[in-house]
Amino acid sequence: MAFLKRYLIPRLIQYVLVVWLGITVVFLIPRLTPNDPVMAMIGMIRARGSTLEPGSMDGIIADLTEMYGLQGSWLDQYWAFWGRLFRGDFGVSFFQFPARVSDLIANAMPWTLGLLLTTTAISWVVGNIIGGLAGYYTRKGWSRTLDAIAMVVRPLPYYIFAFALLLLLAGFMRWFPITGGASLGAIPSFTWAYIKDVLWHAFLPALSLVVLGGAVNFQIMKLLVQNVNAESFVQYAKLGGVTEGRIVRKYVIRNALLPQITGLALSLGQIFSGALITEIVYGYPGLGMLLYNSIVRADYNLIMGITIFSIVGITTAILIVDLAYPLFDPRVRYY
Amino acid sequence: MTAMKQTILRTDQLQAFYVLDMQGAQKIVKAVNNVEMRIYENEIYGIAGESGCGKTTLLKTLFNDIVPPLRLVGGKIYYRIGSEEVDVTTLSPEEKRKLRMEYISYIPQGSMSVFNPVLKLKETYEDFVRSHVSGQSREAIFELAYKQILTLGLPRNILEVYPHQLSGGMRQRVTIALASLLQPRIMIGDEPTTALDVVVQRGVIQMLKDIQQNLQNTIILVTHDMGVHANIADRIGIMYAGKIVEEGTTGQIFSRPQHPYTRFLIDSLPRFGDKNMRSSVPGSPPSLADLPTGCPFHPRCPHAQDICTRQMPDFSHIDENHKVACWFVGEGHHGQVA
Repeated sequence: MAFLKRYLIPRLIQYVLVVWLGITVVFLIPRLTPNDPVMAMIGMIRARGSTLEPGSMDGIIADLTEMYGLQGSWLDQYWAFWGRLFRGDFGVSFFQFPARVSDLIANAMPWTLGLLLTTTAISWVVGNIIGGLAGYYTRKGWSRTLDAIAMVVRPLPYYIFAFALLLLLAGFMRWFPITGGASLGAIPSFTWAYIKDVLWHAFLPALSLVVLGGAVNFQIMKLLVQNVNAESFVQYAKLGGVTEGRIVRKYVIRNALLPQITGLALSLGQIFSGALITEIVYGYPGLGMLLYNSIVRADYNLIMGITIFSIVGITTAILIVDLAYPLFDPRVRYY
Repeated sequence: MTAMKQTILRTDQLQAFYVLDMQGAQKIVKAVNNVEMRIYENEIYGIAGESGCGKTTLLKTLFNDIVPPLRLVGGKIYYRIGSEEVDVTTLSPEEKRKLRMEYISYIPQGSMSVFNPVLKLKETYEDFVRSHVSGQSREAIFELAYKQILTLGLPRNILEVYPHQLSGGMRQRVTIALASLLQPRIMIGDEPTTALDVVVQRGVIQMLKDIQQNLQNTIILVTHDMGVHANIADRIGIMYAGKIVEEGTTGQIFSRPQHPYTRFLIDSLPRFGDKNMRSSVPGSPPSLADLPTGCPFHPRCPHAQDICTRQMPDFSHIDENHKVACWFVGEGHHGQVA
């Protein structure tokens, strides 16, 4: 009960406050910039060469203002904004007019989640296990070899690495498709053929993310393990003749993983901003490209929509880690 | 001390050095240098000396935990297992591992991080026991642990907590309980009382004594605290610069110290009613990487003569238990130092 009153409830209030504050800032920033999106839109329509009938101007302005949620005072807009938010309505995209922001995000989200959840999980698990073992058996040949490989791979700029993979395995060897998330014309369905097609397209982007992400986790974990290895409880377990498997698993890796759990949660939270460079290099559909386009074209509603997902994603991830952490480290107690 | 006592642990010209590679130049730290020891069954043997004299390294070597950069340069270590003597330096890592806890156990300093912080103490117990005894159920292991905990007068719920929830004294007691759980023939303690206040020290010393009485086994205890030795040890070895320079029963060491170094140690202890300034050993201990020639104590010794700078003396036997390595003590030399 003390936990509930002294930790959980204040922590939940804090969570709601942070989300509220973040979303409010997202609401305010476009309104504080000097350019008027309605006028910018009209300018854009004109620049494309469309002629507007003089009488229709007022009507268009009124329509656009309503569509962007810009009528009334800021307070009115703010209320309306939250009202729409709770209905899951993020408004209309300016540039892929009249597509709804929620539809655009819903189209991109499965690709991003599918790719990034998998690669983040794989690179975390594989990087930590191999890094942990390599850190414990530092003197072994395979450990040194892996360390040397990680040393070379990790500083490679992601763009170069991804591009090299694409050139080699898709361009030169032709094992994998050059671009896209699925073959053109493939109809999304739960058939093995379609799933295979998606996996085939996702392989190179996933490989590039797993290799680089895994190398980072490998190096961090190796250092963490080397530190834990010098702790007296590990030395004591060795002197007590505890079997090596137990020492590696329960004494070394388990303790070294503690900071990595925080890292995992943060990278899971960041998934909602997408993986822009991967999407550009491999022409993969996803949130990153959507966010990039929305920024370049000042598509406020779309920026707001994606940012809100990102805010909620990261704060929720942190909340979950905070709440789950005492399960991993009994020294952390919230009462 | 009768001569009939069975030897349980014996070393023969033991030399264990740290070989360090300092940018190409080899640096050799002679932490255990020609140590001959004979430790008997059913006794508490204390090893005393200043910080940096090689006590802990000697203990590690006796425990047969010789890992780089520490290297066994010469000599052998024998345990008497059953009725035969085994040279344990030649055992395989797995054979060494099996001896630990079951035959010879280690009592560490009960510092903050001596137990795995993410495991309850009973899980640590389980790991230690399971690594040696196979085929036991979890319940049987806990049963064994609880029985011992109660016998030692510790609270029953002590195994249900995490290590950080215990006080230093309690943690130290748990390390001792764990070390004695499988009834080893030898227990080795490295400064087990050092981080504790004197009241708690007393309790811990009593606990060690009780366990030794109970198991009739051997405890080898390293500490720089002469008061602890006086309270617990049957025999004491005085260590200086990687060598044992004097060895005798506790009574002999405290009432008739022979080596000038031992005398300094004993004279520095406070006594009831004596308000004089205590004198201490002049100078500071030598670097084990750069030992003086001859007797390593000669630069600090008020009685040093030419011969001390040239040659290390052999042991003179004052009686069957008391031996000392000094040119001016015993057999055929210039009598005793003033």
